[in-house]
Amino acid sequence: MITTASRLRSVGWLVLLGLCLALVIALAFRVNALRSQIHHAEARIVALKQERMYLETEFETRSNQQQLKAWNDVEFGYAAPNASQYIEGERQLAQLSVPATPDAPEPIRVASVDDSVIASAAFPGMVSPLSGKPLASDDRKAAAAAADDEDEVRPARKMAREEAVETLKDRLGKVVDARPRGPVRKETASEKERPTRKDKAESDTSGKSKVAAKGGGKSAKADSKPASKPATKAKTVATADKSASGKAKSAPAPRATKGKEAKAAR
Amino acid sequence: MNALTASAAIASGRVMLANVRQRSLVEAKVRALVVAGFILFIGFAALARIAQLGLFEGSPERRSLAEALLPPRGEITDRNGVPLARAFPAYALWYNPKAFGENGSPLVKSPEEVAKALLAIFPDADYNDLLKRLKSDKPSYLRQRVMPEDANRIFALGEPALEFPRENQRYYPQGSLGAHVLGYVDTEGHGHVGMEQVLEKQLLDPAQRGKPVALSIDMRAQGALEDELGRGMLETEAKGAAGVILDVDTGEVVALASLPSFNPNRSDQALNNLVFNKVTNQVYELGSTFKPLSIAAAIDAGVVTDLSVRYPSDKPLAIGGFHIRDSHNFGASLNVPEALIHSSNIVTAQVADKLGGPALKKTMAALGMNERPYIELPARGFPLWPRGTNKAGDWARITTMTVSYGHGIAVTPLHLAAAYAAMVNGGIWRPATLFKRDPSQIPEGRRVYKASTSARMRQLLRMIVVDGTGKSANASGYRVGGKTGSAEKPGGKGGYNRTSLVATFAAAFPMDKPRYVVIAMLDEPKGTAATSYQRTAAWNAAPIVGRVVPRIGPFLGVVPDDTRDIDISDLSPLVGNGEGE
Repeated sequence: MITTASRLRSVGWLVLLGLCLALVIALAFRVNALRSQIHHAEARIVALKQERMYLETEFETRSNQQQLKAWNDVEFGYAAPNASQYIEGERQLAQLSVPATPDAPEPIRVASVDDSVIASAAFPGMVSPLSGKPLASDDRKAAAAAADDEDEVRPARKMAREEAVETLKDRLGKVVDARPRGPVRKETASEKERPTRKDKAESDTSGKSKVAAKGGGKSAKADSKPASKPATKAKTVATADKSASGKAKSAPAPRATKGKEAKAAR
Repeated sequence: MNALTASAAIASGRVMLANVRQRSLVEAKVRALVVAGFILFIGFAALARIAQLGLFEGSPERRSLAEALLPPRGEITDRNGVPLARAFPAYALWYNPKAFGENGSPLVKSPEEVAKALLAIFPDADYNDLLKRLKSDKPSYLRQRVMPEDANRIFALGEPALEFPRENQRYYPQGSLGAHVLGYVDTEGHGHVGMEQVLEKQLLDPAQRGKPVALSIDMRAQGALEDELGRGMLETEAKGAAGVILDVDTGEVVALASLPSFNPNRSDQALNNLVFNKVTNQVYELGSTFKPLSIAAAIDAGVVTDLSVRYPSDKPLAIGGFHIRDSHNFGASLNVPEALIHSSNIVTAQVADKLGGPALKKTMAALGMNERPYIELPARGFPLWPRGTNKAGDWARITTMTVSYGHGIAVTPLHLAAAYAAMVNGGIWRPATLFKRDPSQIPEGRRVYKASTSARMRQLLRMIVVDGTGKSANASGYRVGGKTGSAEKPGGKGGYNRTSLVATFAAAFPMDKPRYVVIAMLDEPKGTAATSYQRTAAWNAAPIVGRVVPRIGPFLGVVPDDTRDIDISDLSPLVGNGEGE
């Protein structure tokens, strides 16, 4: 019994040894196979790099300065840019702009600054000299406390806002555009958070001319889509601003006609 | 008995048979064992070999990736990394007369026909030489380098004896562009003439050759300079032309051209006088282009403090039997700005006389005019520095005067470029280099002029281009300033040859903050229709600069601007507008 057990054990050890040996050999084979693959890959890299060098050299040869000059003399006739073709800065660029003529198509606005951001930046919220907290929160508390006073307080704040934006516009020298609106402005995410100001935004026509910085990209995308896809446009607009649903839904139809007008004008 | 013997015999026979059987069996077994052992041995040997191969990998010498990609000779690039010279396994054309074995003709067609066909592909080849090689039974190169398309055409001839071995050669993708900067590599692999010779060790060193060497040259500027110089040379039927563009703040040579040039790809043709570098090796009396340098020395020394002071200019200046003349009479008197604008030798000589020999000599020496030009190239000419009258080497009065307007001293165009760079960059002279310099490695240089002098000279140089002889170099928007120089070459009657000139225009731009010096020089230009039958620099060298600057300005970072210029309003009232030499 004992002998059988010890024999079994020794056989087991032998089997284990054999197994380990087999695994080691298999691993060694695998390692070397991989190494050889790497070698092949390297050889291929070398060949490709050399090939690239040949092609690059051929390209450099065919496009050498003398050859380019010969082609330019015969075919292209390019000349070095002169002083009038350079613009030094934004001011010089602005000098080139001309005032819009009455029938000119609506300029494509890619991005602009958000009114509300400017307004809030230029006129920071009033801070109570006593508590050091913004007055708005006090107002809200006061409004909650005295509900009957609400109708008097809120129009006053609204007026202050509108006035602030207007004076800011004067200072920035923006011309109020009295022409019928082209691309309808979509409300921005920041405006979404302030549904109370929606009525104000509608009354403020000049505010519409500026496309909000955040919404600008979206609206530009929507504008660039062809007029033949009103359904998708409406969808885009709707997703862009769910809160301004009434305005957004009415948007596609006038825009499409506007697009046609612009084409006809061109 | 018979039966007995017979049975015994049978019995013995049976025993024998049994023995035989047994023996055969044993033998068979042994043989089978041997065969089995042999097979086993082979099997084991095969396994052992597989294990050996698998475990210890007997692959042939493994070359690393970097080693395999290491070029036999390092690459040279321009400052933007455009390859200018690289090792390239190009095709050669090799004639192998043993292509069809030992006997019989190696060519399918007759040697004459093959030679004619080759001549059609290479019009510059020598028919008789080709024929001689094709008829001989010794293998030889028919051509050292063959373009791939030419190789295809030769292949189409169907001659197996014409072989195209790929050989590692030096290749210059830009052809003859920048040939004097690069030089060439001969068939033995040795660099000559340019940076190939200078960098020989570095380009062949295995530790360094993997990294391309960046030169200060900008290939586009080099192309524009060579192109415009070549055009000017053809228009004026000049013997040669030279030009250099130098960064005034770093001393980097952005372009350097000596025409006529050679093709470094044809090293067999490079052994001629075209490899001579006119910019760094040939010294010229550069004439009036020296006047600003002398006037600057006088302003710097405080000799000229008031630019409105007038000097007589109506009579030739007689010094010890020698007469200093102007190209024509500019009136009774001229002030310094007018003298520069009209290029008056008489007034410049008077200013130099006031300054004195030692001061002028010191300035010229500080500008490096008494030593070989500072550049890495092996071909550097030694200036003809005027000999002194005494042991200290003091110049005679007449020497001081002639040197002030660029006669009696002969330097290379590169000397002039470095001196102009010092004059306009605020007064610091720096050695020129062909290596791309890191901004941290720019040498300190030495101060030659005060910054105030440099500012004044920038105004004066700009005035010469706005109102004077350099008008045709006034590239719109680039605020070019510079000075013309038309010097007679030595020889002929009276020491100088009146008909063979060296016309130079030394310029810098933009003058409100100089970035680059441009020198254009024509060797013996002729008066042609293109130059209104004039031979002086105002008509031939200045227009070259006027055409080069707009071509190189945009990519060298100089933006043309018509609204910007150096302020010359304080000097303008001193000058009555007029034309001069």
